[in-house]
Amino acid sequence: MTIHTLSDVSFGEQLPTFTPDTGLLNVKKFAVAAGWDAPRFTDHAAARDQGLPGAVIPGIMSQGFLSAMIHHWAPTADVKKVDTVFRAPCIVDEIYNVEGVVTDIDEETGEIEIDLTITNQAGETRVFGTAKVLLSQ
Amino acid sequence: MPTADQALDVAALRDQFLNVVFDSYELTLSADRLVAYATSCGETAAKFTDPQHADFQAPPTIGSSFQPKQRFPKGFPTFHGLGMDAGKAVAPDKPMRAGVPILVQTHMHDIYTKTGRSGRMIFFVNRMTFSDEAGILLGSADTSIVIREKPQT
Repeated sequence: MTIHTLSDVSFGEQLPTFTPDTGLLNVKKFAVAAGWDAPRFTDHAAARDQGLPGAVIPGIMSQGFLSAMIHHWAPTADVKKVDTVFRAPCIVDEIYNVEGVVTDIDEETGEIEIDLTITNQAGETRVFGTAKVLLSQ
Repeated sequence: MPTADQALDVAALRDQFLNVVFDSYELTLSADRLVAYATSCGETAAKFTDPQHADFQAPPTIGSSFQPKQRFPKGFPTFHGLGMDAGKAVAPDKPMRAGVPILVQTHMHDIYTKTGRSGRMIFFVNRMTFSDEAGILLGSADTSIVIREKPQT
């Protein structure tokens, strides 16, 4: 169900899971656009030389995935804050699930709080945080 | 200033460094860059992906990608070992548009400690603010760095 107004939202509602494109080409496209075009983000071998398990997805791209997930669910949502903790690296070319749960609804201000997670295929939470979004009432 | 082997006087650091802008520059975002940023993150709404859209704007988290030219104020203590990224928060307030100059300023917003079984951890929070030519705040982004203090012998 696509969300348009605050009255469409239920407490505890799970947002549809988003599986973003974490392929090397897409991450490189992001890294160039962000000005973060370092080898540890765009080259598996170079990242391994730095002691990483492979090229890593920039944390700021993870924030972008979370915002996109919110907009897929509620296209008119106005994202007012995304607060994230990068618990462990997300690796390029691996599959991640981007998920959210509505944890608070302020009927007066129209503000919704959403708990956010990014998990890998082993079920490990790699990124977590919260978002605050505004919806029309 | 203390060396890294001395316990830091956090209160003195707060007095000296909090809320003083130590980095400032101007940038302008291109439409191509905004589209690439948004589409690579998976945004599909036209206001983020189509430069011809009447409300075309930067995706809300783009402020996190801006980086200060210097990470800490001049005269700030240096530390042995690696500081760890403890998190990022971005709070867009008004849309950023392609071709519009944006003033990016960074100050140290907070310094605080947490003490656990492994010793004292010191957190530094840099806040970057974004404003337009009229001085209207467009948003902010916080970057937290944590450093584990060496145990005193």
